[in-house]
Amino acid sequence: MIAERPWQAAASHIGALADAQSYARAMLNILEDAGTEAERRNDTQRAFLNILDDADDERGRLADTQRAVLNVLDDAAAEADRLADTQRAVLNILDDAAAEADRLADTQRAVLNILDDAAAEADRLADTQRAVLNILDDVGLEKANAERAVVALQHANAEVETANRELEAFSYSVAHDLRAPLRSIDGFSQALIEDYDDKLDEGGRTYLRFVREGALHMAGLINDLLGLARISRAELKATPIDLAAIAQATIKLLRRAQPERTVELIAPATMPAFGDRRLLAVVLENLIGNAWKFTGKTERPRIELGQMSQDGRTVNFVRDNGAGFDMAYSDKLFAVFQRLHSVGEFEGLGIGLATVQRVILRHGGQIWAEGEVDLGATFYFTLSEAP
Amino acid sequence: MTAQSVLLVEDNAGDEALTLRALKKHGIVNTVDVTRDGAEALEYLFCTGKYALRNSEPPPSVVLLDINLPKMSGLEVLLHIRADQRTKLLPVVLLTSSDEERDSLDGYRNGANSYVRKPVEFNEFAAAVQRVGLYWLVLNRNPPQMQIAATAA
Repeated sequence: MIAERPWQAAASHIGALADAQSYARAMLNILEDAGTEAERRNDTQRAFLNILDDADDERGRLADTQRAVLNVLDDAAAEADRLADTQRAVLNILDDAAAEADRLADTQRAVLNILDDAAAEADRLADTQRAVLNILDDVGLEKANAERAVVALQHANAEVETANRELEAFSYSVAHDLRAPLRSIDGFSQALIEDYDDKLDEGGRTYLRFVREGALHMAGLINDLLGLARISRAELKATPIDLAAIAQATIKLLRRAQPERTVELIAPATMPAFGDRRLLAVVLENLIGNAWKFTGKTERPRIELGQMSQDGRTVNFVRDNGAGFDMAYSDKLFAVFQRLHSVGEFEGLGIGLATVQRVILRHGGQIWAEGEVDLGATFYFTLSEAP
Repeated sequence: MTAQSVLLVEDNAGDEALTLRALKKHGIVNTVDVTRDGAEALEYLFCTGKYALRNSEPPPSVVLLDINLPKMSGLEVLLHIRADQRTKLLPVVLLTSSDEERDSLDGYRNGANSYVRKPVEFNEFAAAVQRVGLYWLVLNRNPPQMQIAATAA
């Protein structure tokens, strides 16, 4: 298109030039713009690179974050498990707690009851304390009286001791001094009978026999009194014993002394008791001896021993079918020197049953009797039980 | 062999007479010397006081000693007899009215050879005295030390 018209070409040229200039300008502008744009592009690029850098960083951070988030999620899952466990545990605990709460309620009620009781008890304690204080007050008041009582008791004990010593001295004196004169009375009566027989008539000899009988009777009384005194102060040695064995030994002695008599003895195989063997032998010797003696005029004489239970205690008895006694005089049975039969009927000094009673009383027991004239007598006695 | 003699220590004249009568009646004719209390008995045995001249005579074969004596009791006399070399082995029979266990026990503790109770009943008493006499004067043999004690005294 340049070769077509000169002017036109020039013009064209000029135009073209102008165009070129414009173009160039434009181009420059464009270039400028392009430079700017390039700069901008560079900036942008730089920015973009920066952005990319930042994005990289950001991506790293994001990765970190993501990892962190994943970790968190992992942790959260584990945590969720743990939470579930915890929840279950809590539920269990709550269940247990509910049961525990019930128990606590029970306990609380119990504690409240106890507290109620304690309150009541405290009241009672207060009452008791007041009572004790009153007693202590009383004791304070009583103390002087008690001290006076102790002094009185000491005096009484001293008196008893003195009385016992006097009794012992009395017994000793009786044992020694009262027998010698009796021996003289009896001995010289007999000496008169033997040595002066030719000077005595029958009356004189009879009187001398009475003198001797009196002396010997008194000697018997002295013996028995001394025996009673000895039993009263003898030491009590209580052991388990068999009264039936003692009874058999006693009856054996009686049969040997009077073989002409036939007396039936009915006794259990054993009669267990607790007491002093020697003193209880004295009891049975007296009771069985009496039964033996008072059946002396009885046809088919019989002595029966036994034990029975009465009010929770063991009662021993000795029964005979002999002369018996009138219950109206039963209070005199156990008194010293009291006799319910004349010497002519039955021999005796009247001290046996007093001795028996003394022994039984010393054993913490009781003795009593039942009887009927000509039908027999039964003597009952108890002893304190074995400890 | 010198005649056996008996020392009876007895304050009761009745018992003394009955004892002597019982011995004689049963044919025991040995000499029986009698002292009336414990102190006199010791004078007799140790030849002092009014018995100072007894030195040449032999001691008794047996002493029949009552417990209940004035001044000094028979039990005390017995202690003195046992405490002295000259009479330590001298046979002593306690002859007494007492049947108290305490007396019997004290008697043996103090060295009595025998303890015999004098019964009240005369025949029993006479029999007891006779048996004691026969046993200690006829049957029993005294220890040989008696002769030594006699010469020492």
